[in-house]
This record gives sequence, C-alpha cells and structure tokens, in this order.
Amino acid sequence: MSTHTHTHTDDNTKKEKRFEFNRRSFVSIMVVFAIVYLVGIGLWGLIMPEEAYAVDYGAKFVSPEISHPFGTDFMGRDMFSRCIKALSNSLIIGVLASIFSSFIALFMGVSSAVFGGWVDKFVNWCVDLCQGLPHLVLLILISFMLGKGVKGVTLAVIFTHWPSLTRIVRAEVMQVRSSQYVQAAYKMGKTKWQVAFGHILPHVIPSYIIGLILLFPHAIMHEASVTFLGFGLPKEMPAIGVILSESMDYLATGKWWLAVFPGLMLLVAVMLFDVIGDNLKKLWNPESGNE
Amino acid sequence: MKRYKKLICIMLCAVMMIGAFTGCSGKDEKNGIVVSAGTTLFDDSLDPIKGGMYYGYPFVNEALLKAAPDSEYVGCLATDWEMVDATTYKFTLREGVKFSNGTDFTAEDVVFTYETVMNNQALNQNVDLSSLESVTANGDYEVIFKLNKPYSPFFDATAMLQIVPSDSYDATLFDTMPIGTGAYKVVQYDTNQQIILEANENYWGEAPDIERVTLVYMDESAAFAAAKSGNLDIVMVSVSYADEKIEGMKYVEFDTMDVRNISMPTGPVRTVTNPRNGEEITVGNDVTSDINVRKALAIGIDRETVIKNCFNGVGRPTVNYTENLVWTSKNGYEDNRKEEAKQILTDAGWTDTDGDGIREKNGVKCAFDVYATSGDDDRYRLVSAVAVEAKELGIEITAKTATWGEIEVLQYTQGVIWGWGQFSPTVIRSLYHSDTFLVGTYDNVGGYDNPQVDALIDAAITAESREEATQNWIKAQDIANADYPYLYTVNIRHGFFISDKVDVSMDTQIPHPHGHGAPIINNMADWSWKQ
Repeated sequence: MSTHTHTHTDDNTKKEKRFEFNRRSFVSIMVVFAIVYLVGIGLWGLIMPEEAYAVDYGAKFVSPEISHPFGTDFMGRDMFSRCIKALSNSLIIGVLASIFSSFIALFMGVSSAVFGGWVDKFVNWCVDLCQGLPHLVLLILISFMLGKGVKGVTLAVIFTHWPSLTRIVRAEVMQVRSSQYVQAAYKMGKTKWQVAFGHILPHVIPSYIIGLILLFPHAIMHEASVTFLGFGLPKEMPAIGVILSESMDYLATGKWWLAVFPGLMLLVAVMLFDVIGDNLKKLWNPESGNE
Repeated sequence: MKRYKKLICIMLCAVMMIGAFTGCSGKDEKNGIVVSAGTTLFDDSLDPIKGGMYYGYPFVNEALLKAAPDSEYVGCLATDWEMVDATTYKFTLREGVKFSNGTDFTAEDVVFTYETVMNNQALNQNVDLSSLESVTANGDYEVIFKLNKPYSPFFDATAMLQIVPSDSYDATLFDTMPIGTGAYKVVQYDTNQQIILEANENYWGEAPDIERVTLVYMDESAAFAAAKSGNLDIVMVSVSYADEKIEGMKYVEFDTMDVRNISMPTGPVRTVTNPRNGEEITVGNDVTSDINVRKALAIGIDRETVIKNCFNGVGRPTVNYTENLVWTSKNGYEDNRKEEAKQILTDAGWTDTDGDGIREKNGVKCAFDVYATSGDDDRYRLVSAVAVEAKELGIEITAKTATWGEIEVLQYTQGVIWGWGQFSPTVIRSLYHSDTFLVGTYDNVGGYDNPQVDALIDAAITAESREEATQNWIKAQDIANADYPYLYTVNIRHGFFISDKVDVSMDTQIPHPHGHGAPIINNMADWSWKQ
C-alpha cells in the first residue's frame, strides 16, 4: 500500500477506520513517546537542584525502596536523581556533539560530491584516516589531548563521529548531482555553491536528519565509555560513565543496584534514539515503511 | 553405543576438571600461601641498587638496619653501629651470613652496594647518598661511612638500602631475581602476574615456617572475589569491604604510618618564576592564605565523623604527621570545636552576607578546590567527607579529581590531598622547608615559609646525634603546625582478610609505610601456620 492509496482509503471510510491502529499511527506514537521521554529527562536533569543527589552519610547503601527507587551509593547519594542528572548530562553532551559532528559531515559530504577532484580525494582520505583507527582509541587520544572534562570529551565526539555520515551524504549528493534539473541549473549559469544549496541540499536533508538521529546513540555511548575509562567527564560531575565505573568497586560485595539501574537507563535511552531514527526513516521513506 | 561414548566423554572431562582444580589450589598442600597485597610490588624493579623495596619491607635483600614494631631501628645485617662524629658512622656487621647463592656476606658487599649506588645515583631516586663521601671496609666485618657534610638522615638510608652480593650482582637479572641474604628468594617472576618466593635455605635467622609464598597481581575487586572463592590466603581490601565476610578468613586491620593531609597555598595569589623551567606561574590562593581559614578547618572539622563517613570508620583521626614514628610530633589538639572555629572566621571578617551558607569577605567567597588523584577513590571520598564538615563552618570545599600531571600545576593554587608515610624524616623538610617550594615537584606545594622552621629543619639535618636530630624535627613540626599549612585528617589503617590457617605475627608487624597494602610482607619470615 503506497502512501497515496492509504490516504485515499482514509478519506472514503473515515468513520469506520478512525481509531484503527495502523502501522503509521503506531510508528508516530513510538516516535512521540521516545522524544517526550528523552526531552523530559534532559529537561528534568537541567532543572534538578544539586540537593536532590546531595551527600547524606546517614543513608549509605540503601537498597532500592520507595523513597530511593534506585537505592543510594557509598556517599548516600540518591541514585535515582543522580541517574536522571547523569543521563541528562550525557544526553545534552551527546546531542550537542552529534549536531556539530553532523555539520562537519554535511559540509564535507556536500563539498566532496559537488566539487569532486582533489576535494573529493581529500575528504575520502580524511574519512579513511578516521575510520582506519579504532574509534575508542581516537576518542581517548583527542579527549586526553584536550585536557579531558566536558570540553575534551565533547570535542572528541565531534571530531570522530562525522565519517560515516559524510559517506552517506556524499553518496546521496552524487546521486542527485547527475539528475537532469541539476544539470539544467548549471547550464543556466548557477555556480556550484548555488546549486549545492538551492538544489542538492534540500534533497539530502531527510537522510541527513535520520543519520543525525542515529548518530545520537553512538555519541552518548561513546561519551559514557570514554568517561567510564577515566578519560572523559570528571568524577564530581554526575555522568553515567562515572556512576558505572564507581559501581565496579561494589559489584563484588553485592551492591547490584549501583550498576543495574544506570546501565538500564543508558540502554533504554540509546534504544529509544534508535526507535526514533528507524521509525522516522519508515515515515519519510514510504517504500521502506511498508516493507 | 554412541550415547555411552558421549557419557564417558563427559565423565572423563569432569574427572579431569576436578583434578585440575584441586591441583591448582596450593592451599591444601600446606606448603605455600597465596597473597594479594596490592600491585605496587610489581611497579618497580626489585633491585636495591635501583631503589627497589626502599620503603623498608624487603623480602629478598636485607639492609644494615631495619625498623622494629616501635619504629626504632634494630640491627639486621649490622649488629652494632655508632655515630663517631657528625660525619662518621661505624657499622659492625653480622658474621656467618650467606647470600642465597651460598657466597659469604662481608664488608666488601656493603662497600660494593653503597659505591654502586653513589656512582649511579641517577638510577636510584629513592635512597639519597649524595651526602656520602666514602665507604671503606675495615676488615671483613666493619664498615666506615664518611659523609661530606653532617647529614643525620643518612642513618635512615642505611635502613633503606639493602645489600647485594659484590660477586654476582647483575643489573638486569636483579630487576626480577635479586640474590640476597633474606629469608626468601625469588624462584619465579612473571611481570604483572605473580612473584613466587621460596624459603632461602642459607638464611642466617630461623627458617620460615611457610616455605612458599606467591604474591599475585590482582586489582582489588578481583582479589576480593578470588578470596571469596577460596583461592587466596591473604588479601588486601579497601575500606569499603571492611564489613564483608569471607568464610575461613578473618578481617584484620594494621596500623600504618601513612597519613592523608590536604595541602593549602599559604600565600596570596601572585606570579613567580618556576626555577625548574624558568616559566612564569601563578601560585597562591586568596582564601587559604588566610591563616584563620586554615585554623578554623583544622580545629573545626570532626575527623572521627569524616572517617566514619568515608572509610567505614577504618583509620585514626590525626592532627599530626602520624603518631607511629619516632621523629614525629605527638602534640595534638582537640578537633570538632565548631563554635570556636566559626568565631575565628567571623572575627577575621568572613561572614555569610548573601545567605547561601558560605562565608564571604570583601566579595571573595570562602571556597576552594581540593584535588584527589584520579583513580584513587578513597582519597576522593575523604575529600568529599571533609567538604561536608567544612560546609558546616561556612567554608566550601569542592572535591575534584585530576591526574598527577594536572596536579603538578593545580597544587600551587588549590588544595591537594596527599598520602605520606616513610621512615626517613626528610619528608618533614619536603613538607615545610621554604627552600623546597617549586624546587621539588611535590615539595611544600603550599609555599609555606617560616624562617624559624627552616632553621630547625637545618639543625635537625646537621645534628650530631640522632636524639638531637629527633628533637629538632619535632620542634620544627610543632611550630609549623601552629600555622596549619596542612590539614591533617587521618592516619589510615590497612585492612586485610587473612586465612584462619595463617598467622601473620601481629607482634612483629611494623606500622605499615606508604605502600597500598604491600607492607604487610615486612615480617614475612615470622609468618607461620596455625595449629
């Protein structure tokens, strides 16, 4: 069923079919839910006062209960609030880093395909260079060089996450570049930049946005792993990587809640980004949506 | 038939597995024990010439002197010693001692060891022999040290530098398999895995009861898990495991001379030239340079509560550089005097004007950062717990982490938490002498400068007797501590789980020097099997 016939059926049988739960509405609900959840956590963490996860030595190692749903840690800090704050930090850093990274990708991809020649070669060389190195090693290297912390880890994620998206953008642009109307635009005397922005970019935007959304989970995961290894966010800042590395000390003594809940939170967040990305792909790309 | 084959196969495998497992656990064979005492043993060379085991718990080579449980020195390879004058020391050596390879120990070996270190001082950062002019043998069993200037800490060096055999010294071999006179010898050395020791049959003292000791390299949580499954006999654990139980093992705590103190810049913010590289650097801190802030912290925080909160109550509160050494000051004061501390701050002009619970003075917030080394969670926890106490006084301490490389810069403008614990009193010079500021990488980072203290430290170093030196060291600390350049917090204790079958001879344990658990082996020769 193509999009066209779908709408057509809807028009004809509006009354009977209004509440039917089809794939499109399911996908939309999923996307909306995921966005609300992630934005909600991001905002909640932003406005959360520091007192919510303050040190309270009177309540060390409380196992999960109503007042502390995720338990407390070795300093009596409420793990639920700390997790929300941590995830919020990770989300904000991840999203920021991905957006900047995607700008690099967009710029590189478009210019590589539009200008061709040595520009294309150079971009490809950069992509190969970045992808040739193990991802985590490059991340650690850049983060460490820049003095770690928020700055280090954000820039490291920005500078390492553009290659795959660059390839996608470049391939898309290549496809559009050879189409008739682009050739026509050239013939009418438009410059390469005018064509790139006026005719090529709009066609690349959907796959760019999906690529960007699918970049978020990578960025967040990598931020967490670099922090976990001690090359990222500092210990005094709530971050999933920090919480998980702290929890390692207590696994042997059975303080399972210190690792399980933050780990689950991270997993769910990352999976939700995937849900948004995959489902948006289905919505924007009807052929694949009906596979 | 096929089915039986499979069954037999599985059964054979099972039998083999059981065999393999029982074969692994040396525990039941009663000839050896497996010890996990931190990883620091594996960090450096075992070669005494290169500064190996200088903290004073060697297991292969022995020094002329060794520390006793009361921290006084007693003879080891020397039986008698004498300070002839301020620059001459005479040591009489123990007779009838053999190295583990069968050669005799004589004055020649002592001369060889000291001369080799003197000529290769660059290789040895731990034992400083720069004050030594010459070392000569007088017969086979007497050695005379001549110093080029009076230097009383030389005496400590004779307890830190262990003797190697002159005939068979090999700079490469000794990194892992040194030959010494001690109760044990290395039979196998696997880098960052294990060191297997066996009793030295040529040992001059009483043969150790435990013939084989395997020191394993494990991180703390892995070691704890291994102990729980019964694979270790002695395991160092962090304070966070103090409440745990392991079947067949007992939790035991050991005294240390290892203190944790927070350095605070004692001067105002200014720019100076770094003598190490000639660069301009900023030093000082406008909050901690006020002695009233430092004093309020020192007398106001409740160290007992701090230790309870961050270390599960493991450790002794201290306001001094450890009580467990001869040359340290024991003159303390009461802490947790919150009202008095608050009054001091108020009188000095630090008041809370904006109602956020933190005091201000002339627009400067009474706040500073204290850095802990990243990776050392205990220190970070300690600072966090101190910060909670400081907040009650209206002082905001922010606990942060940084690598040693970063701390080398931050230490001049912010607080840093340090761990110190060694036999040589030269650490007092490093902590308080104004000459060491900016010269030594980690020395006197607060820039403490008191001519009276400097003079006492110099007098201690040039003292003509150990007693005189000790008196001057203590006086220097007393005067310096009245200026509170450091916030002393805790004299830590080391926690171990020890198998019920093994007796680690608590009576002959020395207070553990700084060593993250390794010092438990200081009296390994006295360990025995129970029953």
